[in-house]
Amino acid sequence: MARIQIENLSKQYAGGQMAAVQSLSLDIADNRFVTLLGPSGCGKTTTLRLIAGYLRPDTGTINVDGTLVSSPDGVTPPDRRGMGMVFQNYAVWPHKTVFENVAFGLQIRRLPTAQIRDKVMAMLDLVGLQGFDARLPGQLSGGQQQRVALARSLVVEPGILLLDEPLSNLDAKLRERMRGELKQIQRRTGITFVYVTHDQAEALALSDEIAVMHLGVLQQYGSPRDIYSRPANRVVADFMGQVNFVPARVVDAGKVAIDGGPAISVAVPGSLAAGSAVDLAVRPENIRLAATGANGSAIPGRVAELTFLGNMNEYIVTTARDARLRVQTHPTELFSIGDAVALEFDPRQCSVFARS
Amino acid sequence: MVTIAAPAPLARPKTGGLRLEHVVMGGAIASLIVLVVLPLLSLILGSVSSEDDGFSAGNFIRAMERPLYYRALINSLVLGAWTGLFSLLMGLPLAWAVSRTNTPFKGFIKLTASLSYLTPPFLTAIAFVNLFGPNAGLINNFLRSIGLDFLTFNIFSMSGLVLVTVLHTFPFVYLLAASALESVDASYEESAQILGAGKWRTALQITAPLVAPAVLSGTLLAFVNAIALFGSQAIVGIPGRIYTLPTRIYALFDYPPQYGLASALSLIFVAITVIALFLQRGYLARRSYVTLGGKGSRPQLIDLGPWRWVMFGFATAVFLVAIAAPYASLIAVSFIKSVGLWSWENLTLQHYRFVLFQYDVTQRAIGNSLLLACLAATLAVLIGAIIGWIDLRTRLTGRRLLDYASLIPLGLPGIVMAVALIQFWLATPFALYGTILILLLAYTGRYIPLGVRAANASLRQVDSSLEESAHILGASWLQTMRHITLPLIRPGLFAGWLLVFVPAIQELSASILLFSSSSITVAVAIFNLYETGYIEPVSALANINMIIIGVAILIANRFGRSPTGVPRSSD
Repeated sequence: MARIQIENLSKQYAGGQMAAVQSLSLDIADNRFVTLLGPSGCGKTTTLRLIAGYLRPDTGTINVDGTLVSSPDGVTPPDRRGMGMVFQNYAVWPHKTVFENVAFGLQIRRLPTAQIRDKVMAMLDLVGLQGFDARLPGQLSGGQQQRVALARSLVVEPGILLLDEPLSNLDAKLRERMRGELKQIQRRTGITFVYVTHDQAEALALSDEIAVMHLGVLQQYGSPRDIYSRPANRVVADFMGQVNFVPARVVDAGKVAIDGGPAISVAVPGSLAAGSAVDLAVRPENIRLAATGANGSAIPGRVAELTFLGNMNEYIVTTARDARLRVQTHPTELFSIGDAVALEFDPRQCSVFARS
Repeated sequence: MVTIAAPAPLARPKTGGLRLEHVVMGGAIASLIVLVVLPLLSLILGSVSSEDDGFSAGNFIRAMERPLYYRALINSLVLGAWTGLFSLLMGLPLAWAVSRTNTPFKGFIKLTASLSYLTPPFLTAIAFVNLFGPNAGLINNFLRSIGLDFLTFNIFSMSGLVLVTVLHTFPFVYLLAASALESVDASYEESAQILGAGKWRTALQITAPLVAPAVLSGTLLAFVNAIALFGSQAIVGIPGRIYTLPTRIYALFDYPPQYGLASALSLIFVAITVIALFLQRGYLARRSYVTLGGKGSRPQLIDLGPWRWVMFGFATAVFLVAIAAPYASLIAVSFIKSVGLWSWENLTLQHYRFVLFQYDVTQRAIGNSLLLACLAATLAVLIGAIIGWIDLRTRLTGRRLLDYASLIPLGLPGIVMAVALIQFWLATPFALYGTILILLLAYTGRYIPLGVRAANASLRQVDSSLEESAHILGASWLQTMRHITLPLIRPGLFAGWLLVFVPAIQELSASILLFSSSSITVAVAIFNLYETGYIEPVSALANINMIIIGVAILIANRFGRSPTGVPRSSD
């Protein structure tokens, strides 16, 4: 129900040497589930608080549906933005009952009492808390408090819902379930969700778009598939799961030669001239293991470690140049430690980055 | 969180009988009984027995029948109520200014609150008598000399008593309110804001209910402390014929002493205190929300604009009245030959020479006070540590009872403690009354709760698994204590020691009934000197007293804490 346009946004905290957010531009379309992803200190929470209006930017603007809400000259205060926000610690008011917590925003909007009652009850139903309305938060579990926080934000029907690591305090099982519910609620309500997390699996599972941030700078903005299989740089590749970096040299715009190994056909960024040293990034599940001599373009190696993980085998394979590569295979493709093997890369799933 | 782990029962057959920890634990329990429980029981016993007709409620009936006594009760309650109210009106705005706004010079406001708390209340009272005595008060005289007679203020009145008391008690509200305001998680307020609540609505509906328990609790503490202050009530109240419970109990010890009546009045006094403390603890325990926050992000400070200078002005006014005026008057009066003449020739050190070298009481009193404060602080912390340890680390039957017993002294105003000790020890064959030992018992007993609290807080920070790991490696109880537990809780115990030392070295309420010429303390010496009317030497002695307290705090701070503030390793 609302589009957020962020342009050239920067924020520096008093006394900090580094900017928390640097020249961030992001266009978040209406009705999307967008995740700000990055390690702690990457500026994702600062960005969220800038969108909410708790902070005033040093440079840049934030527009919501074409209306300017934040600029260095002033910000529309949070209480007049009509957004919702779910905090990492839920921030469910301990002195109010579940009902009073959820009703608060409606009371502010001066709805008639009967209507408030109906809406709150319907919302408690939606989040699975029917019958809990008279409880105090102290009597609820973490997951239930989480639902109260969610209900409290959703009941006022905001155009935008901001979520700051809302699942990080829940145990693994509950987290998975709430993940599904969040996604459903977003689809059903059409509210624009801006979701902050450091958990890449969560981001991949939930988002329409992911914005990967690092040290205050936006690294890549795109669909989960893009971000995972076409990382824009080494930082993104590294953060989005396990990856092997294999030293290589550019042959031409469509080919690199692995040091001490065969040449592979792969898209090379235009900025890299022939002969420059590069790293070929390849994820463990995109390497195939075969018995030696099966294919001329394969790299010879030897199995050094084997770990059985249930749904896969994970190998560490050493090559002739002492590189250690992580490889994941189907659990039935079994090799033993010490076996000579041939490594085959799937060239469509490889990326090339300048050697750092 | 009560730990369920008992100390690992090391099966060592050779120590079948009594073990060291049992002796130590038994010693702590026995001292608690002798210091607190038995005196309290004999106080109760004394209140219901009389010389002629055995057990009766006669003492209580007399106490409630005669205006002399019930008026003291009413005065105490009136004093407590006004003091509580004004402590709230002073402490809460200052706390809010420091923790939530951009008021300048916050360090100065914090310092004002700490100094107000540290200044012995009887010194504030004496200083205000210097300034606002109806006939000779410096400010009153000055006002009269410039024709502003209507502005003069008689300190010997209930308003005067409330004034000098509030200056000591407002820090209770300030400290509790400030820490509550600082620990309310910012996200509680931010969630209200994003739902559309403005600043005032958020403050009223979210912040205020969250900090109300702490603020109320601080107000009740101010009340409890206010009514127990013997010194200011004697110095300001008695000349104004405003008798309160402590001063009335004190008067009952004039010859012939009326022990039964004093005990009855004391118990009524205890009842008021205990009710107030009960409310305070109940409030804090049941409705304390401020620790619930998660990350504990700081709320953003409110920009007060030009109003921040109004807040600062208010803080400055408090500083002038609570700190600057009393100290300036004490210092000024201590250096002049006689009050009223202001010139360089009139400056003198003779009062210091007098109190330090000619008045033979002073040196003995300083020695006694230092000795008593050091010993009492050490004993209170040691006993407190053992009781805290028993409560948190063992499954001894009745350990909760022990914990409650250790809190009893909180409900005993100093003078009541003295009455109880007199009752108890007079009934035994030991001639303790009049010795320095009975003062030590009084101080240690009074401040055991501080020791227990300090030890409890520190022990909770030390997971019991740290002790268990030592046990499993074969360490005995003593070795575990020596190498693991004590080093870990040492900083907390040092803080507790200082917490006992400061009030102990200025203790007056209990000492006033227990001292003898050989066991006199500084506070009593000042009080006696004041009673004889020599205001200049009193001021000199008061300043010496403050210097001793200041130096003691500095030294204790130096030894208790490493320069970085982190616990020092035991080197």
